Amino acid sequence: MKILSGRKIKKVYGKKLNAQEVLKGIDMEVNVGEFVGIMGPSGSGKTTLLNVLCSIDFATEGVIEINGKNLRMMKERELSSFRREQLGFIFQDYNLLDTLTVKENILLPLSMSKVSKTEAEQRFNEITNLLGIKELAPKYPNEISGGQKQRTSAARALITNPSIVFADEPTGALDSKAATALLSNLEKINFEKKVTIMMVTHDPVAASFCSRVLFLKDGQLYTELYKGEKNRKAFFQEIMNTQGVLGGDGYDA
Amino acid sequence: MTLSQLVLRSMKKNIKHYYLYFFALIFSVTLYFSFITLQYNPSVENISGSVKVAASLKTAQYLLLFIVVFFVLYANHLFMRRRSKEIGLYQLIGMSKGLVTRLIALENVILWSGAIAIGVGVGFLTSRLFTMILLRILEKEALVSISFSIQAFQMTLFVFAILLIIVLIQTSFMIRRTSLLSLFNASKDADTRVKRFSAFQMFLGFIGLVSIVYGYYLSTKLFEGDSASVNILFIRMMLILGATIGGTFFVFRFSVAFLMNIIRKQKRGRLSIVDVLSLTPIMHRMKGNAKSLTLITVLSAIALAILSLSYISYYSASATAQRSVPYDFILFNDQGQSFTERLHEEKIEYKQVDFSLLSAKHDMSELLENELPEGMMIDPKSTETIIMKHSEVHKVMPNFKLKEGEGYLVGYSGMLAEFMPFQVNKPVHIMTSSGEVTVQIKKLDEEPLISYRATYSSPALVVTDELFELLANDPVVQKQTVWTNQTGIDLVDRTKIKEVQSLYEETTNDGSFEFVNVEGHKEVVSLDSQESFRQSNLEVFGLVIFITGFLGLAFLMTTGSILYFKQMTEAEEERASYTILRKIGFSKKDLMKGIYMKQLFNFGVPLVIGLAHSYFAVKSGWMFFGTELVAPLLITMSIYVVLYSAFAFLSIGYYKRVVNESL
Repeated sequence: MKILSGRKIKKVYGKKLNAQEVLKGIDMEVNVGEFVGIMGPSGSGKTTLLNVLCSIDFATEGVIEINGKNLRMMKERELSSFRREQLGFIFQDYNLLDTLTVKENILLPLSMSKVSKTEAEQRFNEITNLLGIKELAPKYPNEISGGQKQRTSAARALITNPSIVFADEPTGALDSKAATALLSNLEKINFEKKVTIMMVTHDPVAASFCSRVLFLKDGQLYTELYKGEKNRKAFFQEIMNTQGVLGGDGYDA
Repeated sequence: MTLSQLVLRSMKKNIKHYYLYFFALIFSVTLYFSFITLQYNPSVENISGSVKVAASLKTAQYLLLFIVVFFVLYANHLFMRRRSKEIGLYQLIGMSKGLVTRLIALENVILWSGAIAIGVGVGFLTSRLFTMILLRILEKEALVSISFSIQAFQMTLFVFAILLIIVLIQTSFMIRRTSLLSLFNASKDADTRVKRFSAFQMFLGFIGLVSIVYGYYLSTKLFEGDSASVNILFIRMMLILGATIGGTFFVFRFSVAFLMNIIRKQKRGRLSIVDVLSLTPIMHRMKGNAKSLTLITVLSAIALAILSLSYISYYSASATAQRSVPYDFILFNDQGQSFTERLHEEKIEYKQVDFSLLSAKHDMSELLENELPEGMMIDPKSTETIIMKHSEVHKVMPNFKLKEGEGYLVGYSGMLAEFMPFQVNKPVHIMTSSGEVTVQIKKLDEEPLISYRATYSSPALVVTDELFELLANDPVVQKQTVWTNQTGIDLVDRTKIKEVQSLYEETTNDGSFEFVNVEGHKEVVSLDSQESFRQSNLEVFGLVIFITGFLGLAFLMTTGSILYFKQMTEAEEERASYTILRKIGFSKKDLMKGIYMKQLFNFGVPLVIGLAHSYFAVKSGWMFFGTELVAPLLITMSIYVVLYSAFAFLSIGYYKRVVNESL
């Protein structure tokens, strides 16, 4: 069952004369429960694609549907509540509000929903247990480490039980140990809770946790790799090879 | 590229950052220049009592200078803080601190020249407006001709040149202090900002609230108590000031966070979007904002109190005149008949009210609600009071009846009523040749009926006709009585007041009235008409209200702008939060709800506390300034609130833009 589909997505920045086409007509589909990675060299349009798919940015042309809903047909308010209820976000720089405690940050997306207090508390316990950050609840973001921040951010993304989670370079600012821990967590959540995840990364290690990896080059879909039955190491090797062919930023991490 | 090219180019590109600072400069120059021009305006210089006028204008000028200096230095401080990254960047690309200083200095010189040129231009126009307002307040009719005053221009140039030098010194200090690190410490801001709240801070927060309430309580008791000597009064005033100002600081520094923390704790982690955008940032910013908010609150309270008091004086000019001289024109002891004859001849319609009068010594001590404070030069056991006849008073105040042995007081108001409050249903003893006659007081009425020349601003006693006749034949009372009757004349058509005034002066020899005093000698007093009494009041208070009004306006504008600037900075700092919130699915409208709340707090709380402070300050001492409290106080406060809210709307507008741009 597909959850997200994009047809002929084009994105142009700038006006007529100095217009720059960042996405040149991308077709893609994501099925429920997939863990999709998007890779590609700098400037290939990874983040732009993610922003367009998750409704933070608008596509110049093309159709994007999530759960059968066309994003273009929605107004600002509808889009906002759609994002709040259906989508989860994890960003490279955590995007936590530093005036809120960890718990307040995590429960923030529920503030306008009708979820009951006990239900919210229950979900909070479940997710923080899963991510191992329960004891951090009363702390402020500046009192915890980067890895903990990113797990908090992940917890915030998951608290609404979203249909799909978008992650933009979630391990970008983490050391390798924290990165691996986070990715294992995401993998577990993807597997256990059947949450669909879409992740932009330039780190082949991170990408090797995915079930499928899309490669972008110059705003176009270059190729895609399926993990299938392979183990992570073999998949990692395959990603490295593809990246080598693609050229570019294999080692800029 | 030369330095000046670099400066011009960077100014052109960053015009958005400059306009605020530029505006603050123009505003300061305008204010200062227009005031100085007004001071040198011949039509103002000609106003009577020019020595006094000049002196008060001069004092006002220094106060204004103080406000301007404060404002400009603050604006520069803020402007430089916003640019610390830019300054760091210049150094990163290899400019020396000296070069950066020169760059900023050159920029400042260009900005200031522009601001002075524009400010002088605008000030020239506004000074005409201000002069017209001043003359209008004083009810003087003069043609306002305004010429460009070279003297005022030189003065302004001189003052702002010195100010520029100070600003440049301030700037160079700031540049010396900013290090390259300031480029990278954006995230550090949060570290210093977000702290936990300890139980001790909570306690201090509670103390703050208590101390303000205590200060207010003291202020209502300022002139009460049995031993209000000057020393004790002074100590009390200091105590009140200390309690309220200290309390204000504690409230901003601790109480706000204390109260908000309680609310926040109760939400148990589930904050609404409004809380996220108002409650938490306010809480965490209070440490940095407490000092400036206290300053703004206290200063606006002072400004408001002074404004209110001077407006009370001005506003009361008519009321005081009305109370001191209850009728348009007053005649005594059947003198000045030629005045009424002339009124007939000129066919000017009027209403006439006659009262027969007696005077006697009274023992009023039983009427007093409290003991008299020390140092009052009044002996309540033997005060001289005017006595009136009920049937005559009944014509003007028809809804009160008297039984035998009863009486009431009229003209009971003002300072006397505040300091020596009376109570009803208590006796007054009138001293006569055959001992004391006792009258039970049934009512205290504010309505003035008799000229202050006869009553010395004390209340008059109204008794039954029988008693009045009895007293009229008493030799002791007869000896005490110097005024036997008063004739009050009210014009039907008050537009003719000027014409009648000259008739009055002509027929009564400038309002001179003869009487025989208690010792039996002849004396002459001169009476004012109500209008001339009011005029002389206006002249004194008009100037005061104009100057305080001008300074108050300057004050309001600067404090309002400072709050606005602060909010602009906060909006910029919080831009990232808005981006996050919008990304995770909150609409602009949701965010704006929180921002409205935050603005309500940021502007509302200093305003409300400032209003409360000034209310209690005015309440404790207004009776020295006039006769009306409520109306002038409400008018001053409402004008203040309206002007002040303009800044809140400006800053909401700014937030709206930031929120719109944030995604």
